[in-house]
Amino acid sequence: MSAPRHISANPAVAWVNRTALALSGIGVLVFLALPVVIVVPMSFSSASSLRFPPESFSLRWYAEVFGDPRWLQAMNTSLVLALLSSTLALVLGGLAAYGLVRGRFFGRMVVQSNFIAPLIIPSVVIAVGLYFALAYVGALGSFGGLLLGHTLLGVPYVVLIMSVAFRSFDIRIEQVAFTLGASWFTMFRRVLIPNLLPSTAAAWIFAFVTSFDEVVITTFISGTHETVPKRMFNELVLQVNPSITAIATLLIALSLALMGLAAHLMRRSRLATRPGS
Amino acid sequence: MRRTVLWKALCHGLLTMGFAATTAFAQMGNAPKELRMLESGGPSGDSIEQAYIKPFTEKTGIRVVRESPTSTGKLQAMVQSGKITSTLVELGATNVVMARTLGLIEPLDWNAINPGPLFEEAKWPDAFGYQYFSTIMVWRKGEKPLATWADFWNVKEFPGKRALPDYPSYTLALALLADGVKPEELYPLDVDRAFASLEKIKDHVAVWWKAGAQAPQLLEDREVAYSAAWSGRIVENDKLDYTYNQGLLMLSYFVVPKGADPAAKSAAMGLLHEMSLARNQAVAAEVIPYTGASTEIEAAIDPAKASLYPTSEANKKVQALADPVWTATNAKEIEKRWQQFKLGL
Amino acid sequence: MSRSARSPGALRSPALWLVVPLLLVMAAGFNLPLLVMLGRSVVGAEGGFTLAHFAEVAETSVYTKVLLNTLRIAVITTGLCILLGYPLAYWLRRLPPRWQMVGLSMVVIPFWISILVRTYAWIVVLGNAGMVNRGLLGLGLVDEPVSFLYNELGVIIGTVNVLLPFLVLPLFAAMVKIDDRLLRAAETLGASPWTTFWRVFFPLSLPSLAAGAVLVFILTLGFFITPAVLGGGRVPMIANMLDLLVNQMPSWEIASAISTVLLAVTLALFVLYLRLTRLEEST
Repeated sequence: MSAPRHISANPAVAWVNRTALALSGIGVLVFLALPVVIVVPMSFSSASSLRFPPESFSLRWYAEVFGDPRWLQAMNTSLVLALLSSTLALVLGGLAAYGLVRGRFFGRMVVQSNFIAPLIIPSVVIAVGLYFALAYVGALGSFGGLLLGHTLLGVPYVVLIMSVAFRSFDIRIEQVAFTLGASWFTMFRRVLIPNLLPSTAAAWIFAFVTSFDEVVITTFISGTHETVPKRMFNELVLQVNPSITAIATLLIALSLALMGLAAHLMRRSRLATRPGS
Repeated sequence: MRRTVLWKALCHGLLTMGFAATTAFAQMGNAPKELRMLESGGPSGDSIEQAYIKPFTEKTGIRVVRESPTSTGKLQAMVQSGKITSTLVELGATNVVMARTLGLIEPLDWNAINPGPLFEEAKWPDAFGYQYFSTIMVWRKGEKPLATWADFWNVKEFPGKRALPDYPSYTLALALLADGVKPEELYPLDVDRAFASLEKIKDHVAVWWKAGAQAPQLLEDREVAYSAAWSGRIVENDKLDYTYNQGLLMLSYFVVPKGADPAAKSAAMGLLHEMSLARNQAVAAEVIPYTGASTEIEAAIDPAKASLYPTSEANKKVQALADPVWTATNAKEIEKRWQQFKLGL
Repeated sequence: MSRSARSPGALRSPALWLVVPLLLVMAAGFNLPLLVMLGRSVVGAEGGFTLAHFAEVAETSVYTKVLLNTLRIAVITTGLCILLGYPLAYWLRRLPPRWQMVGLSMVVIPFWISILVRTYAWIVVLGNAGMVNRGLLGLGLVDEPVSFLYNELGVIIGTVNVLLPFLVLPLFAAMVKIDDRLLRAAETLGASPWTTFWRVFFPLSLPSLAAGAVLVFILTLGFFITPAVLGGGRVPMIANMLDLLVNQMPSWEIASAISTVLLAVTLALFVLYLRLTRLEEST
């Protein structure tokens, strides 16, 4: 803390600034977390409609979810679909983003706009277009077709985020790696990605969540495959049932577990790459 | 000479029999083991499974696979792409008329369906009416009860906020009923008069709801005092009270997409037959409080529950039957005027 | 800062080939089907080329008004996300790592709740019988419940709540990479904290902020659940209109025409964004 005492570094002003920042940060966090704080207790409520705070507690909604093979099947389908499509989007989109940023070919802006386009085109229009394409090749109602649709939706997030990340990464670090003898692939794997892990993680999470929440395209092309959002939207048109809060809570628990695992793995890898180990 | 003729006749005979046998075998091979249908899902789909699919599969051994949700857009996509993935498609009455105009559906084989006695409006040449539902007035238990839509419009005597459907095909009709138009004289709708009627109530409408689940939620949340709602989830909700008086009665149909496989289609007629039987419809009504089109339904259902259903004798006669043909023909125009109306809110 | 093709990096990075796989997948699965679908907007009833559908969209004031309404809400949402999200990311950056994890969790976890559940959760919080109103009435601050929902305010609260993480997460990831030593160097050279922030930190965070803002804007255009449930029917947005035109009517020609207009407008904005960030590129 050897910052020089500046004339306008009035400690009172600095304190006000810091407190204001902290308050606004906490305020926004509360705003963001409010639905979570509501939804989790509601899932343990015994009421048959959405009430907060719950008057009495019970596990009936969890029993209903776990006892219904259709919900379990839907959750399985959704998880597998989201995992596969987000990873696929990350690989395809991440590589493409690198090519866009470091490459020097004609029409880069057009290509990048094309990659972002699935975000801009209303999903209901993509749904119909995809329906015809899949019908033409006979893949309608197949898991592969669904995977394609979800991957297409994840790609724009990956390209957008990774483009910014690559662009802000000093190219000279890459060049140093090359002069030290690394192949491009080694450089990518051991220099670029580890340094850009936060952005990579953000991109993957966006793609995953998008797939998990996707309903419009899924209703058109999924045939008899049921995903969680598709079931939820279908049923909720008729009645609001707190079993959706149970599912939401399960997902929160799952994501907490995943993040804990990720943090643990990152700590271990950091320990492993410490100098002298 | 005679032996040659006899020999030729024998050969001809054998060949003909052979042809007949092979074609018969081929047709038997075509009989589907599985039928696919597109329906709206949720409890409604469950009612189809338990009440109609079960007896059908028991009788014929044909499995029925349900897919949901349904929409006119999906039907158009199916027909235009040439791949008919569902032999039966569920559509609301207005959508059936629109689908007919667009050339998306085929006539049904009513001889093959051989239905039990049904109400007339359920027997269209190209659509099978399978489920009635009503749009009725609803309020919380304990509030001042309504008798007519004019009461619904009367904010002085029945104070509180209202909720109405964000669907012009329903709300315009209700607005006319509130303005004093008799149910028999409802169609063709006097659209100008309907919008004028809406002007009187629009400042008191807190929510124009889109999803059926919103209406009971709004009432329970005390967001509104009175609402129009679809009868299905209201009648079994013990926190709410309702009346079928001046309700708007509508029908959902099953259609066959143009270009469907003929063998599958004839098998599907068997399923429609099951849907026409009163005893099956009674089972369906237990799962979701909507009734089928059988005229004998009253005898098959639990009399204590008759007041819950849209087509029980007492309820059917006080309601107005919607006219899907007029609604479909004018759908685009009234939708545009409706969006304009909402922008001005 | 040489972009010479002779620098070792450019020779070894197979840039073009990296782009090809995705390009192929998209060409087959997205571009082609989409061209066919959007092509309907210029095909007349008899099959010939026509601009009649676009004319109909332009003449029907309802479509253009809803489109403008949607753009307006997108601008408001993006502005609010920036106002709320930037300070949050900045504050998170300054926290010790353990607290950063906690803060990040609170940003990421709401993601896992489906948008439909979150929308209904807002009804529980902000409805007439909801927590906030019960609190306000109980404390005697108001006589009647305040209408937070079933109007444009409700829709904006809902969309900002859903889209804020889309801005905060990439922004945070980028801010974390900004070297503290740059800031300290500026201070050593005599800059005030405000100048350090405004002239060193902020420009470095700008590309990510801009990317996040563009993302939030584009995503708002596609919202239909939130305006349908929280808007009370009063907030028509373009995605609801398109759902009607594709699923209910169906009027695919009009839907295609509107989508083409939407695409043109958004792509123009996106190209503008690309131009702006190209100016910021440091290498």
